[in-house]
Amino acid sequence: MRDSVVVDGVGKTYAGGVEAIREARFRVAPGEFLSLLGPSGCGKSTLLMMIAGLLAPSRGSIRVDDAEVQGPRRDVGIVFQSPVLLPWRTVLDNVLLPVEMLRLRRTDYARRARDLLSMAKVDDFAAKLPHELSGGMKQRVAICRALVHDPALLLMDEPFSALDAMTRDQMGLELLRIWDVHKKTVVFVTHSIREAVFLSDRVLVMSPRPATIGFETDVKLPRPRTMDMQEADEFNRYVGLLRHSIEAGTRP
Amino acid sequence: MRGRSLLWPLAVTLAALVAWEAVVAALRVKTLLLPRPSLVAGVLWSRAPLILEHMWPTFYQIVLGFLLSLVGGVVVAVLLTYSEIVRKGFYPLIVVSQIVPKVAVAPLFVVWFGLGDLSRLLLAFLIAFFPIVINTATGLTSVDDDFVRMARGYMGTRRQIFTKIRLPHAMPLIFGGMKISITLAVIGVVVAEFVAAQRGIGYLIVMANGLLDTPLMMAAIAALSLMGLALYGVVAGLERLVVYWQVRTETPRGGFA
Repeated sequence: MRDSVVVDGVGKTYAGGVEAIREARFRVAPGEFLSLLGPSGCGKSTLLMMIAGLLAPSRGSIRVDDAEVQGPRRDVGIVFQSPVLLPWRTVLDNVLLPVEMLRLRRTDYARRARDLLSMAKVDDFAAKLPHELSGGMKQRVAICRALVHDPALLLMDEPFSALDAMTRDQMGLELLRIWDVHKKTVVFVTHSIREAVFLSDRVLVMSPRPATIGFETDVKLPRPRTMDMQEADEFNRYVGLLRHSIEAGTRP
Repeated sequence: MRGRSLLWPLAVTLAALVAWEAVVAALRVKTLLLPRPSLVAGVLWSRAPLILEHMWPTFYQIVLGFLLSLVGGVVVAVLLTYSEIVRKGFYPLIVVSQIVPKVAVAPLFVVWFGLGDLSRLLLAFLIAFFPIVINTATGLTSVDDDFVRMARGYMGTRRQIFTKIRLPHAMPLIFGGMKISITLAVIGVVVAEFVAAQRGIGYLIVMANGLLDTPLMMAAIAALSLMGLALYGVVAGLERLVVYWQVRTETPRGGFA
């Protein structure tokens, strides 16, 4: 099967000469849940934005579904660190924003939007404005928005980092549930080791700036994942392994 | 809550009027100098046909001047936002032009555009459009980068980003500008009427002044103030409808620089 994402020798140097990413090279299989793990400011978000077509790489090439990325694509959904919901739109209208932007027929997707909201357990709030929702609920709505046009690839940039620890675990579980139903390829950026282990099929560790991919491991925990797994020895073995590799990378 | 917040200013106004009435009566101040409020109210009532006759041209000039400022101000703000030439070349000039006191230009406008409606309309526009430009431009450009990035991520075009994100985002600030602008439009029209007009509240004030009819003058000023208040109320009411997502604060909004 052909790869969903191919990142081939990608580097990014900003106009001021700051080298954010030295070289990144990896592939993501269709339906795979891949995490990019690294300390803050290591350029993992930059890498994600390049896959999204929102930033151009300085070197190398990125292919999504066998086509060179030259700008944003219609079959990609993005979830940002903050929910970025438009305050004047109801929850439902926020979810339907990509449908409008892509000039698809709203009526064809209204049903799907409602189904997604109900799956994310925020359907009761469909007619509410964002300021009436809690942080976790807003981010659920943002995830629904990223899925409404049925993209093959979901890009998530530390989507749960602004949430409290308990909400964060809950959101992870729900994300996995949605992922299990919709079978998307997911590239998930995080600086939380536990989150990466809990969610992913595979974790790539990025070294600090200028970033390279230093370490990679498959996470062979069974699915569906449960909260109890976080106490299992095997889970903590992965956490230890990744922590050591990050510490090795950050050591001067 | 809203009814209650009006109670205090109304009470203070009433108290001030009563005090005024009492002082004028006690000190036997000449009507020519300062008429009693009750007398002004009486004139407002008895000469209502005359005042209304002059109020109408002033009213529609204010509304027209305001609408012109709104459309013109938003268009200029959009150009400022999207055109580098306009931003670099014209924006400093627009700002500097605001240093010229518009009131001082009024006689010149009469020379250029005649005694008719046009010179009054243009003066109202010149005074009222600046807050709209500044507030709209601020609103259009102060959109968080995340919103623009999100919209671009979903393949939003420049036009879509403008209509679906920048413009609604600017709405609260545009209304802040409109509330300032409507009061400035009143000033613009009345000043122009002072300079040259055969009708309008400004003309009536000057005429009453010439006749030493202070009660009529004050009645005209009161009528003008009430009209200004009503116009402001309409804009503020519209704001509540249009900017429904804003969490209300007690003080009026406005990022007027």
